[in-house]
Amino acid sequence: MTAIDTGPVRHLYVHVPFCAHKCEYCAFYSEAAQGELVNRYVAALVRELELVAADLRPRTIYFGGGTPSLLNLRQWETILAALARLNVSGADEWTVECNPATVSPDKAQLLRAAGVNRVSMGVQSLDESLLDRLGRIHSREQVFRSFDILRRAGFANVNLDLMFAIPGQTMAVWQATLREALALGSEHLSSYEVIYEEDTPLFEQLRAGRCDVNEDLACAMFEELVATAEAAGFRQYEIANFARHHGLAGAEVPDRACRHNVNYWRGGSFYGLGPSATSYVRGVRTKNWANTPLYCEQLEKGRRAIESTEELPPLGRAGEIAAFGLRMNAGWPFAEFECVTGFDLRGEWAGDMAWLGRQGLGRIAADRFQLTPRGLRFADLAAERFLRP
Amino acid sequence: MDTAHIRNFSIIAHIDHGKTTLSDRLLHRTGTISDRDMQEQLLDSMDLERERGITIKAHPVTMRYVARNGETFELNLIDTPGHVDFAYEVSRSLSACEGALLIVDAAQGVEAQTVANVHLAMKHDLAIIPVINKIDLPHANVPQTKQQLEEILAIPADMAILASAKEGIGIDEILEAIVARIPAPKPTGVAGLQASCFDSFFDTYKGVVTHVRIFNGELRPGMAVKLLYSGKSFEVKEVGSFNPKPYARERLEVGETGYFTANIKSPKDVKMGDTVTDNRTPAPALPGFQEIHPMVFSGLYPINTADYEHLKASLAKLQLNDSAFVYQAESSVALGFGFRCGFLGLLHLEIVQERLRREYAMDIIATYPSVVYKVRLSDGELKEIDNPAFLPEVTFIAEIHEPMVKTFIICPNEYIGDMMALISEKRGNLDHTETLDARRVMLTALVPLNEILIDFHDRIKSLTRGYGSMDYEHAGYRASDMVKLDILVNGEPVDAFSCIVHRDKAEGRGRALAAKLKEVIPRQQFAIAIQAAIGGKIVARETVSAFRKDVTAKCYGGDISRKRKLLEKQKEGKKRMKSIGAVNIPQEAFIEVLKA
Ligand SMILES: Nc1nc2c(ncn2[C@@H]2O[C@H](COP(=O)(O)OP(=O)(O)OP(=O)(O)O)[C@@H](O)[C@H]2O)c(=O)[nH]1
Ligand code: SF4
Ligand SMILES: [Mg+2]
Repeated sequence: MTAIDTGPVRHLYVHVPFCAHKCEYCAFYSEAAQGELVNRYVAALVRELELVAADLRPRTIYFGGGTPSLLNLRQWETILAALARLNVSGADEWTVECNPATVSPDKAQLLRAAGVNRVSMGVQSLDESLLDRLGRIHSREQVFRSFDILRRAGFANVNLDLMFAIPGQTMAVWQATLREALALGSEHLSSYEVIYEEDTPLFEQLRAGRCDVNEDLACAMFEELVATAEAAGFRQYEIANFARHHGLAGAEVPDRACRHNVNYWRGGSFYGLGPSATSYVRGVRTKNWANTPLYCEQLEKGRRAIESTEELPPLGRAGEIAAFGLRMNAGWPFAEFECVTGFDLRGEWAGDMAWLGRQGLGRIAADRFQLTPRGLRFADLAAERFLRP
Repeated sequence: MDTAHIRNFSIIAHIDHGKTTLSDRLLHRTGTISDRDMQEQLLDSMDLERERGITIKAHPVTMRYVARNGETFELNLIDTPGHVDFAYEVSRSLSACEGALLIVDAAQGVEAQTVANVHLAMKHDLAIIPVINKIDLPHANVPQTKQQLEEILAIPADMAILASAKEGIGIDEILEAIVARIPAPKPTGVAGLQASCFDSFFDTYKGVVTHVRIFNGELRPGMAVKLLYSGKSFEVKEVGSFNPKPYARERLEVGETGYFTANIKSPKDVKMGDTVTDNRTPAPALPGFQEIHPMVFSGLYPINTADYEHLKASLAKLQLNDSAFVYQAESSVALGFGFRCGFLGLLHLEIVQERLRREYAMDIIATYPSVVYKVRLSDGELKEIDNPAFLPEVTFIAEIHEPMVKTFIICPNEYIGDMMALISEKRGNLDHTETLDARRVMLTALVPLNEILIDFHDRIKSLTRGYGSMDYEHAGYRASDMVKLDILVNGEPVDAFSCIVHRDKAEGRGRALAAKLKEVIPRQQFAIAIQAAIGGKIVARETVSAFRKDVTAKCYGGDISRKRKLLEKQKEGKKRMKSIGAVNIPQEAFIEVLKA
């Protein structure tokens, strides 16, 4: 009944679990990069790639982290060579996340030459004191310099990550950061409110009462973001994502949307390699060990480093796909949802859609259900309703 | 065992004076429990009892004791609760006994519940063995405690045994005194079986397990017995005693206490105080128990309306094990179908709710507790109102009478002033003051029941640094200027929060309730107005501000599973809230309003 895609998996995520220094807010799995472990990781990653390559013909590749740009030239060469050898390079969209402090012209050229065509740069802020507050290792100057290096290396698709509602950030500082960042002229913008993740220093500070959350200010900053990004020619296509669009007006997502991420929200399959990475392949979700030595050990023995597996029953799976797809402005076209999940949104979820409609949070159109702009601010409330056991 | 070698006794005391600890000692000393199984407050076997450190249920145990004279005795002990709300457990236990160990904490001395329990034991004509406990405490004052025994309770001080349940001091003397001073049970002399039901619980496999005291004859498996009150006959399947776990025996003989099962599936068939007799030759009924009258009423409702039947079955089973609480079906505009339940006090209410949650996995909420008012209508009709929702319109009411209690407060002299202030704050009148001994007095006051329910006892405790205690008894009704206070949530009256209060206190109460609700009702995506109203006039208003957002800032492939689980948990949480209109009200809200 569920329309499971039977061909090879089209999306690949690679987690690079190293950072020069841990940021205050970060709950991603990463650790300090000590030379030998990084080499060991690279070898294990290549091994993991070999294990899944037969089932992989990626249209999108995404190297995230951690800090992928922390890998040195030789390490990158090893990975790129393996991708080419296994015939999994040459994706339409191939993104590498970069920290502004670790972008060098050599590296940029190497990646570009290998087929990487998109870079996502973790800027977070352009205010020196806030960068410091967040524990970022780069300066604002490095952001401008790195952007320039990327452009020179031929990257025509660049994303900037920005954070708002950072403790101590005023509206004026946010506006200035937004203005300066948009002036760079990137193709894509991801911007989110600070998340206080458990087990992070920032969370501890919040709990200890050393910083506090100002909901009104955070909302105002978000509104500012949407308005400023739109004025600068961006189109919002997901709660935290904005991209430029030059094509047809009626397109589901803007041209420069990150296809890799869109696949997540659409419930598509993907392989996730590297420590702590999640894969979702034909309805089965697996998660790798969030422990680099253990990850390496497993792969050195020739097996994948899977810590846990999760497979939801069909309705539960459809509910999850419904819930997270609503994060996109386009919402769920009924036909597409049925094609992906085998369920009709207007059946099982009719009551939930109607309820959201009544609350002014959702809109039921002839061909789709989507959240209203206000509804996007209550996406979790909506998601909760769409989930099924 | 021949009756001459049986002793039946209860352990009674004010709360916390060491009944359960002493019971444990006796069990240990008689080898009923091994060293290995020994643990503190062993008889407080319910999780709730252990968590709260108080006894809620009476616990029977049978021990074998070889006395100094070399003879073996069967000692049937019942450990009882000390809190006033469970006094019915004490009185039923006493009905199965010939004697009582009266424990008095040497550091606290005689307290209100000591007095009340001694009176109960005297009413049952029991032999009382006074035990002065906790003599190991540095501030133990044995001479003073002895003096109080004589002066307050008229018990000769030289009868008292000095003990420390904690240190194991005096245990042998207590056991010997039980044998020597408590009379052996005397058969009633009628022909055939006469046993009295004094407690029960429900076992999924065996049906109702009834605790009995055999007053005449004997009880064996295979016997056909009749319960005189319910008129039902059963075949006995199993008889036994407790050690403290139930264990089967061949028979229960005259004078013994224990239990029997008879595949009784309907809890309603067994009534406390009923007499069990031989089906063929029924003996006359034993004196039953005094009916107890619940003091407070509250509506219990399932969070999930679909759980109504389950709640009904659970209440019946729970009542078997807690005969002091009563219930009957009712319905509420805001809450749907539920039950109006009567309790002996607020602790009792709390414990019943908690037991329903834990033992029967029921998610329930309780409405604001109310006492029973007598309302005289303008046309002369008299109505009893135990649910504020049913209070007639003001225009039809001629007069409202509220229940009064006579309360006895025992406290050190220096707190008389504080106690008098408290009594007047609670709309009470001091009746008289009695000097108990050089340092303590007993105040007797007439106070509306409605005022002592909630925090009277706690206030006495805190005002007297723990040295004050109180007890109370019913004292009729008095006309009072009572009004109904309503709480509206987003304009809808929520009858679960309605209460009847004295006019002078209504506004303050309304403000406190609204403020408390604002604290406990979680924010939602719209603002929630909370209002308190007296007869349509709004006296307090609070607003729970709306969420401006409820969204995870970012969410990619690796986050989805974890995020989904979080949302599922939230969704579960909301299911355990009662939705009234569009507003979700958590279970805690219904409890928290009591503390407002
Ligand atoms: N120092 C000292 N503490 C004691 C003694 N006997 C009991 N206690 C302590 O007093 C507290 C109350 O003891 P319990 O045995 O639970 O009292 P209880 O009378 O059964 O209490 P309720 O059943 O709730 O009325 C516990 O903390 C005991 O450890 C004693 O002889 N000496
Ligand atoms: S650089 Fe990125 S992954 Fe590394 S600690 Fe900072 S936020 Fe986390
Ligand atoms: Mg006890």
